Amino acid sequence: MKTFSLYVPRDSLIHRINPIDKILYTITAIAVPLILPSMAASFLCMLISLSLLAAARVVRQSLPVFAFVFLILCTVVLIQGWFYPGNQTPLFGVEPFVFHAEGLMKACRIGIRVTNVVAAFLLLVLTTKPADLVEELVRRGLSPRIGYVLDSIFQILPQMMNTTRTILDAQRSRGLETEGSLWVRVKAFLPLIVPVVMSSLIHAKERALALEVRGLHFEGQRTWLREKRTYPYSREIRGGLLLVLTASIVWRILG
Amino acid sequence: MSKIRVEHLKYRYPSSEKLALDDLSFEVDEGEMIGIIGRNGAGKSTLCQAFVGLVPHFYRGAYGGKVVVSGLEVLKSSVSQLARRVGIVFQNPFTQVTGSKWTVYEEVAFGLENLGVPRKEMIDRIDYALQLLGMEKYRDRHPFDLSGGQMQRMAIASVIALQPEILVLDEPTSQLDPQGSEEVFRAVHRLREEGMTVILAEHNMEKIARYCNRVMLLDGGKIIDFASPASVFSRADLTRYGVVPPVYTRVCRELNAKREGSPHFPVTLEEACEVLKGR
Repeated sequence: MKTFSLYVPRDSLIHRINPIDKILYTITAIAVPLILPSMAASFLCMLISLSLLAAARVVRQSLPVFAFVFLILCTVVLIQGWFYPGNQTPLFGVEPFVFHAEGLMKACRIGIRVTNVVAAFLLLVLTTKPADLVEELVRRGLSPRIGYVLDSIFQILPQMMNTTRTILDAQRSRGLETEGSLWVRVKAFLPLIVPVVMSSLIHAKERALALEVRGLHFEGQRTWLREKRTYPYSREIRGGLLLVLTASIVWRILG
Repeated sequence: MSKIRVEHLKYRYPSSEKLALDDLSFEVDEGEMIGIIGRNGAGKSTLCQAFVGLVPHFYRGAYGGKVVVSGLEVLKSSVSQLARRVGIVFQNPFTQVTGSKWTVYEEVAFGLENLGVPRKEMIDRIDYALQLLGMEKYRDRHPFDLSGGQMQRMAIASVIALQPEILVLDEPTSQLDPQGSEEVFRAVHRLREEGMTVILAEHNMEKIARYCNRVMLLDGGKIIDFASPASVFSRADLTRYGVVPPVYTRVCRELNAKREGSPHFPVTLEEACEVLKGR
């Protein structure tokens, strides 16, 4: 079954942590470097996020994402290194492309922060089953209908892509040119997009009917097939994160 | 006691000027299996959806008359309330998959979770429904990885798990291959043996003749006839309503082979054999 979820099934402690706690961690890991602008704080947060990724044994799965991010960061290094307004100390290069110490430092800081944010998000995304996260959120009062939408995105979108592929093949087999110059592609757009949109609308209506008769809009108390899961160290994690957040705010105000 | 009572039901879709259902009145008793036939646009699907409250609650539109299903008046009940009394299975098995669950077992649980059925009871009901539909061996499969016939049986199981008293099937096999279609009909037959009241809109007249005890012929939103399959399929004017009678009836009509002591032609293979052998 194809899905958009990046979840990697593993048996690690990180995988067993409550999804909500992981969200809280992600928020904290992003917030702390914002509260404490020092490079050391950002670097520490990044190190923690990265080592948690390693602890969850999902480093290999996170590499493609990091590769993409580093590609973008390379341009940041070039632009900041050459053109950062505060540039004073030239290091190496040929005019007008001279790398400056200040710009490289700036690029470095940006790089660490971005890596930190990406790592914190990946920790959540790679180690959490979307369905578990949604279930936890609905149990905490999120509307089951929003929960359904979040859950179904991961399956309905791939299904819609399948439909699109079928329509593309069907139109091609009737002689529609879909490859070639830009103009050919533009001309092919309408005969493709109209059936795709129409079939999506029809499917959406039919699915809405089917959901309706399965009580999606029932107003009473809902129940769950799965027993409520107990997650380890929830209190400790939340306490710890709160402590870190408070400490960094206090530090910022005092420092 | 009648399970379904319809009195002067009239309905018009909001975007239309024509009545989709035009002054229908009839009753259905417990344990009956009713076939609804008629050409496309005759009002079969609309009538099916009128039993479960999608007409008028989902579509809105103009509504008149009264539909009472197992004691609940449709106009005054919500679709979710009605879902516990009457279940519906639609044409396309694919769009009935919720897309939010990862196994067949969880998929069947969807409606039960929404309606707040306690967990213990839920598990019993799912096991029963899967077993009844012959789906236990697929319980851990992904819903979208099933064949059409299996998906449709899963849809029926999801509805059966809600323990309705009436099951409405709106052309449940029109998008299935012969094998998938046979699987679904066998499942429906089993349900009927369990005493379920079944309403079946269907284009396959042989199946209607074989499984239903009464047939309703619709045209232009009106009831043309509502009687036994033999009586309805023996009508000489069926083609005028876009209906081709079962092949057995057509053959016997050509041979003018009626059942002994009956004004009607045979409608099933068995009846036709019996009549033709005696000649």
